[in-house]
Amino acid sequence: MARYALVIDSRRCIGCHSCTVACRVHNELPIDMIYNPVTTVGPKGVFPHVRMMHIPLLCMHCDNPPCVDACPTGASQQRPDGIVWVDQNKCVGCKACVMACPYGARVSNKETGTVQKCDFCMERVEDGLLPFCVKTCHQKARIFGDLDDKDSDVFKLVNKEPSIRLLAELGTEPQVYYIYSWEV
Amino acid sequence: MKKIDLQQEGLEIKKACCYFCHQNCGVLVYVKDGKILHFEGDPDYPTNTGGLCCRGNVNLIHLDHPARVNYPLKRKGKRGAGEWERISWDQALTEIADRLAAIKAEFGAEAVATAGGTSRTDDWARRRFMNLFGSPNCFHNSHLCWIPTFMVETAIYGWSPFEIDLGLSRCIVLWGQNPGASTLPEMSGISALKEKGLKVIVIDPRYTETAAKADLWLPLRPGSDLALALAWIHVIIYEGLCDYDFIQENCVGFDELTAHVEQFTPEWAEPITWLSAEQIREGARMYAMNRPGNIQWGVAIDQQGKPAGAAMHARAILRAITGNLDCPGADLLTGPSQEFITDEEMELNEYLPEEQKAKQLGSDRFKLVTWPGYGRIAELTKKYWGKAPTAEWMCEAHPPTVYNAILTGKPYPVKALLVSATNPVNSYGESQKTLAALRAVDFLVTCDYWLTPCAMLSDYVLPIAGSFERPTITSTYGCSDFLLASQRAIQPLYERRTDFEFWRDLGIKLGQAEHWPWATLEDAYLYRLEPLGYGVESYDEFVEYYRFHFPERQYYKYKEKGGFATPSGKIELYSSVLEELGYPPLPPYIPPVENEIDHPEVAKEYPLVLTTGAGVMPFHHSEHFQIKELRFLRHEPQMEINPRTAKEYGIEEGDWVWIETRRGRIKQKAHLTEGISPGVVFTQRGWWYPERDMRDPELGGCLESNTNVLTSTVLEDCDPLSGTWANRGLLCKVYKVQDGAKEGNK
Repeated sequence: MARYALVIDSRRCIGCHSCTVACRVHNELPIDMIYNPVTTVGPKGVFPHVRMMHIPLLCMHCDNPPCVDACPTGASQQRPDGIVWVDQNKCVGCKACVMACPYGARVSNKETGTVQKCDFCMERVEDGLLPFCVKTCHQKARIFGDLDDKDSDVFKLVNKEPSIRLLAELGTEPQVYYIYSWEV
Repeated sequence: MKKIDLQQEGLEIKKACCYFCHQNCGVLVYVKDGKILHFEGDPDYPTNTGGLCCRGNVNLIHLDHPARVNYPLKRKGKRGAGEWERISWDQALTEIADRLAAIKAEFGAEAVATAGGTSRTDDWARRRFMNLFGSPNCFHNSHLCWIPTFMVETAIYGWSPFEIDLGLSRCIVLWGQNPGASTLPEMSGISALKEKGLKVIVIDPRYTETAAKADLWLPLRPGSDLALALAWIHVIIYEGLCDYDFIQENCVGFDELTAHVEQFTPEWAEPITWLSAEQIREGARMYAMNRPGNIQWGVAIDQQGKPAGAAMHARAILRAITGNLDCPGADLLTGPSQEFITDEEMELNEYLPEEQKAKQLGSDRFKLVTWPGYGRIAELTKKYWGKAPTAEWMCEAHPPTVYNAILTGKPYPVKALLVSATNPVNSYGESQKTLAALRAVDFLVTCDYWLTPCAMLSDYVLPIAGSFERPTITSTYGCSDFLLASQRAIQPLYERRTDFEFWRDLGIKLGQAEHWPWATLEDAYLYRLEPLGYGVESYDEFVEYYRFHFPERQYYKYKEKGGFATPSGKIELYSSVLEELGYPPLPPYIPPVENEIDHPEVAKEYPLVLTTGAGVMPFHHSEHFQIKELRFLRHEPQMEINPRTAKEYGIEEGDWVWIETRRGRIKQKAHLTEGISPGVVFTQRGWWYPERDMRDPELGGCLESNTNVLTSTVLEDCDPLSGTWANRGLLCKVYKVQDGAKEGNK
């Protein structure tokens, strides 16, 4: 069984927002919804001694997802391959998952009344394609793959490069890894 | 998202390209029954390798956006009233042709001018039309973008070394270039090579996306690039870092240069560039000692007005004295294609009579990118390479001089302006003057995707086919020895046509039929590709089976060919071509057009230094403001200012502020950042508001936040060689917008 994960190489990310736009356009999201914003930290310091990095955010597809636990209807689910998704037919829009997610990765769709989120473009992944945000990234700063596959790029990067996971101290076991070159 | 079965029967995959900037990233478009179902970046395309930027992702939204112009429009009410009558192409072309013929009969062909934008058109067709019509007054705002660089470098080396051999390079200088926001495929390549040890030097007043990844960032005072380049030459010569063998074998004028730059020490450059002498030395040493290396072109120097030409000359000298030319890993002098038919060969320049060439506006004063200089350079390159650079772009009327001729009738009247793929109010300098000219010109025709402020003022607006609706040959303004070819995914929607069809059909109406043998743009492209010998039956077949043509890379061409395409056959550090044209043969020091050292009285009123014109994602020049899927990223114009300077003026993050120069004022929202020097202000380019009233005089607020209101096009501020005007290194002041303050300039 696969365990899908995403590695974000912040050394390569330039904050161009292509991932944000690709996700929104191809997933046909309403204009007030974003699954994967890119935040910019800096320039920090005092001119000309400054540094800057970009931190793309998205659902962390946690191994221990609090949103799934919080869902009263079973709409929020985790697949055996790790992808956390929302069954739109079961979601009643109570937003308990929105409250439970420490990453702010879930958004409420005003038109449908339901909650939606990044699902790693699971239908594409099933067809052997990459998520849109990964495919569109010119800089190859987003690397998607199967952590259970020792030959995969994500496995090699996670085990070779210094990386962090956001709010890992909460015990959510997030599966998005950030490679970085300096402390924020 | 609705799932699309990409394996379904009848689904074709078209090899198209994105057409929102001239990177032309490869795209695979999935088409069934003439409808596009899906598209993705083409992983096999050599530049973007599957990636697409923000803009690339909105292709389908752009394709059928409700604000697109879909039918030929003829003005009904008065100019700018926004009242249109839908007419047929045939009626539009007949009426336009009649009017142009009448103007030609009364005022001469030169009374008809054409304005263009960036390279997203087949402008060999425009030039072909204009040469046959008899007018030398074609122009783009290409003065701001590479063209002067190309011509200065060609004067000195016999071609421009724009093809960089990055894979084998050890050091790249990104001089006023920010690929992290404007050429993402290039940025991706640089990042990959940097991981393998490539040194990256970024010269930029702003801490850009690219500067953030650099080994060395040199945040110079905007507009002082010439002083930095001269000081680098000084360091390299006087610290003995030259490639003496290369110089001795291939260059003339080294002794004169050595004497000339003795005065330009790093200490001399310190107060001009705001860099320390040590920073200047460090940069020069890094470039000169990590060979082979590259200096990548960026628009910064093209946009500085008066010192621009000399700065290009100085930058060109840096490559030559370090031997970073035409060897593995350096900047390569490929010359034009010897294999396919180039843009220039499609232009019919020989049809424009000499007496009409002599009338080209601005050519009496700015000689390098007009007929006098172009003619000389074309003669030299034809002798050496067998071909000349593209005349459209490299040989153009001087835009501010044309606008002035419209307004004053001097030196002669310009009565008609045909505008294709540009929104001049937002893209050319001193927007108030440009707007006045657009309002004043007798006859105005615009070919565009949108009803831009310029289109709103027009007599006719023609609907143009865009991304995915047109085939594309990408060949660096017609000057590369390679080409990349893309096909159209679908036929143009509604009644849109390509710009090629506009010029061809207008030409046919005006008696040029024998010179337009191609029924379609693909036929014309096939004609251009036939000499390559691929034996294809159609252009589409070439795209499907080959798509690219890259000749085998040849280094040291000058050894085989016995020198360079200059009068002496050497690299002319001391340029005889510039001297012939009446310009200094070595680059003199020329200060930024407005600066605190030479113009203290101006600096008293306008104490801050302004830089404009840089690209910011997700917009391209003045485009895409109507696409909400992009606009949400930056829904308002933003200026950048250092927090210490902002504090002095009582400006806080998010405040609307006026930025004012001697030309006028605009308002943008303040963003406080340590990524810019105290005392420097950066304004975003292009801004207009398509969501507002587009009728005259509001015209979508096209002057309100438009950075070109601040720029200078007075002839004294323009580069004497090329005539490029001043967008950078100007003096300005800033102050908060008070409630109820009237809008800027109308």
